[in-house]
Amino acid sequence: MKAIEFKQPASQRVYNSYIERCKRVVKPLSRQDQEECLLEINSYIYEYINDHSDDEMTALLNILDRIGDPEITLREVVAGKKIDQAIKTFNIKHLLQALFLNLRNGVAYILLALMTVMLLTFPVLIVLKLVNPAQTGIWVGPGVFFFGITDNPKSLREISGDFFIPVVITLGVLLYFLIIYILKAIRKKKP
Amino acid sequence: MHSTSQCYIFAPVKNEFIKNWETQLKKGLLPYFVLKALEAQERYGYELIQHLKDDFNTEVTESTMYPLLTRLQKEELLISKWIEQPTGIPRKYYYISENGRINLAAMKKSIDENLTK
Repeated sequence: MKAIEFKQPASQRVYNSYIERCKRVVKPLSRQDQEECLLEINSYIYEYINDHSDDEMTALLNILDRIGDPEITLREVVAGKKIDQAIKTFNIKHLLQALFLNLRNGVAYILLALMTVMLLTFPVLIVLKLVNPAQTGIWVGPGVFFFGITDNPKSLREISGDFFIPVVITLGVLLYFLIIYILKAIRKKKP
Repeated sequence: MHSTSQCYIFAPVKNEFIKNWETQLKKGLLPYFVLKALEAQERYGYELIQHLKDDFNTEVTESTMYPLLTRLQKEELLISKWIEQPTGIPRKYYYISENGRINLAAMKKSIDENLTK
């Protein structure tokens, strides 16, 4: 992105500081999306100043005021682009970032974040099964059914046996696709 | 005297109510205004803001316009293209898509049916 050049050093400092804030906000995005957001903000600043060339500093302060705090104005754009990236790349890191950025956008995202945290426990369960097979499994007992680790295996019955790891992997894959599917559905539904 | 006093008390309240209502109405109509403004020709963000102000008497700030354009693009109602400028600061031009035209016609029909009776 080509930076705008100002005549007054004070204006340049204000502009540079604002662009730095924008850069921090868009940092979770892909390099291409970061560049796209910055180019767009830069274009709004440049066109406004070009159209109000009487007083550089006043014009700059006016346009920055009109664009607003990058942390607020760019929030929706960054959150939306991050969801697109998560859906496109199937990368768990992007998925977590997308869910975190969208947490305040509704209960559905909170539930999805909980589902993702649950998904992250699956590899831990696989490791635990390898390290401590006697205490890790799918447990059934009187009025009890759970998935994980127990320190009292004698009162419970383990039902998955040698299939625990394949079951966890299958459930993990299914849960991951379910999260992506729900994410796509929410994005489509959003007005 | 009594009746004059009543007018003085209630008139500003009513104006404030109408003012808020108009703000909400314009906010709801904003996607329509944007699609309408792009129906005849492509425009870049700042140009769109000026056009809405001049032709639709609607004041929109960049903080509203930028996320709105991104949303409309995601909904595939708009497409965009960066055009290099001699200044070195490119402009992002927005064009209405075919899907955008279909939705604009549906919005116009809805406005005609619901608001212009």
